Amino acid sequence: MEMLTLNHVAKNFGEKQVLCDVSFSVPEHTVFGFVGQNGAGKTTAMKMILGLLTVSKGEITVDGMPVRYGNTPTNRLVGYLPDVPEFYPYMTPLEYLKFCGEISGTPAREIKSRSEELLRLVGLDKEKHRIKGFSRGMKQRLGVAQALFGRPKLLICDEPTSALDPAGRKELLDILTAAKEETTVLFSTHILSDVEHICDEMAFLHGGKIALQGSLEEVRKIRKASAVTVEMERREDACILRQAFPFLKSSGKNSFLLEEAEHLPKILHFIADRKSPIIRIERQEAALEDLFMEVIGR
Amino acid sequence: MKAFLRKEWMEWNRTGRTMVLLAVFVLFGIMNPAFAKLTPWMMEVMSESLADAGIVAAAVQVDAMTSWVQFYKNIPLGLIIFVLINSGSFTSEYEKGTLIPVVTKGLSRRKILAAKTVFLFASWTALYALCFGITYGYNAYFWDNGIAGNLFFAAVCTWLFGIWVAALLIFFSAVSKSSSQVLLGTGGIAVGIYLLAAFPKLDDWLPAKLMNGTALLQRVVSPEDYYAGMAAAGVIALVCMVTAVWCFDRKQL
Repeated sequence: MEMLTLNHVAKNFGEKQVLCDVSFSVPEHTVFGFVGQNGAGKTTAMKMILGLLTVSKGEITVDGMPVRYGNTPTNRLVGYLPDVPEFYPYMTPLEYLKFCGEISGTPAREIKSRSEELLRLVGLDKEKHRIKGFSRGMKQRLGVAQALFGRPKLLICDEPTSALDPAGRKELLDILTAAKEETTVLFSTHILSDVEHICDEMAFLHGGKIALQGSLEEVRKIRKASAVTVEMERREDACILRQAFPFLKSSGKNSFLLEEAEHLPKILHFIADRKSPIIRIERQEAALEDLFMEVIGR
Repeated sequence: MKAFLRKEWMEWNRTGRTMVLLAVFVLFGIMNPAFAKLTPWMMEVMSESLADAGIVAAAVQVDAMTSWVQFYKNIPLGLIIFVLINSGSFTSEYEKGTLIPVVTKGLSRRKILAAKTVFLFASWTALYALCFGITYGYNAYFWDNGIAGNLFFAAVCTWLFGIWVAALLIFFSAVSKSSSQVLLGTGGIAVGIYLLAAFPKLDDWLPAKLMNGTALLQRVVSPEDYYAGMAAAGVIALVCMVTAVWCFDRKQL
């Protein structure tokens, strides 16, 4: 069952086209990474899913129901954490969550227990001060708590980790991973290690289109066979190897990068025949960073 | 909607709005009779210097009417302060983005607008009633309110003018992005109506007429003369509210 579907969605701001043809779907109970450069249109796409921006073309559905601009009933199923969450500064975290519970129609007796449970989860349970003095990281945590309040079927997080310190980031990623049991998570980011840590599926947004999408394994496979690094012990062996295989690229002292991995057996044979001592032969993992650079054409 | 009303109430209390407005309206309520009460004393103190200037100050007769005239002079200032303090009621929420979590939780925009409207109308009514009540009480204690004709009808007219201004404020809050635009819009229309009212033929048909409570108290005019102005205020307020709903539904938050 698809929790979220975007079907040929386009968005213009006057003359400027931000999204031209975006289609992807998010299956239930997955963590979906929505990756793109700053200004790629991730926030725009998310705001359209929430009915906060009009869709210029195409259709968006949440749990099979179409999203409408303005008052969309699909928002009852969604929890949203904005990139810079802002709350009423004169409330305490507990008061704010109570307010969230009331406006989302949660029964009164559940509001208190759910608020306390969520504040414990995000580590704000001992915080009795008003939101006014909160740091950005604390606001982000409260943002997670309010987004999860109504046990949403779809949790949308807009760059949730970008303002956090390493410890805070890890905690937040753990919370999102745990949330997968109950909900489906769509989160945007440009921090690729976050995607590698917690995502099941992902999509790269570039140039107003989805440039690449699939499960993490599929996306990695799309890339050409991984490169191999060969490092020789002696300088003369390195020179001989280079002469025999001119396509090797120098990548440091006595070491080479082999981009076409199909030549590896020939090279290994050559080294074995000459009994040349080697320091290492290492396969380079296809890092998402490289893939990202490839996608954006740098 | 109840939850949002409670939030508004908390906002008023904790940001000091309640205190400031209560202080202003209570002060105005006390100032009206106090001014009337102090006038003879002030005249006496000043009579010597006035005499030096060649002006002869005769004994001044003060009564409830003096205090009511003062009331109708002060209340526009109260209304201006009310508008100034509430000009950011919507726009500060747009600027900070605090309505986004509320809307994405599924609370309909109409309920938000309704809650803010009810709150603004109710607070104007309460503050105005407080100011009026205080002046009325003191006047009854010191003098006799019977001297003022159409007392309650005049009070209703001024209250309705306040509701009309609050409706303008809500309309401009639904269409503009900043509180300065709201003030400019609300103030611009109110001043425009006052300028139009300078034409005697138009005067009867404009809400500006409602602020002329003194003429009613002095029985110079009769309540019937105010009916057209009341209807105009009601109709414009209604149009403002309907348009505000339409605009707020489409507002980019």
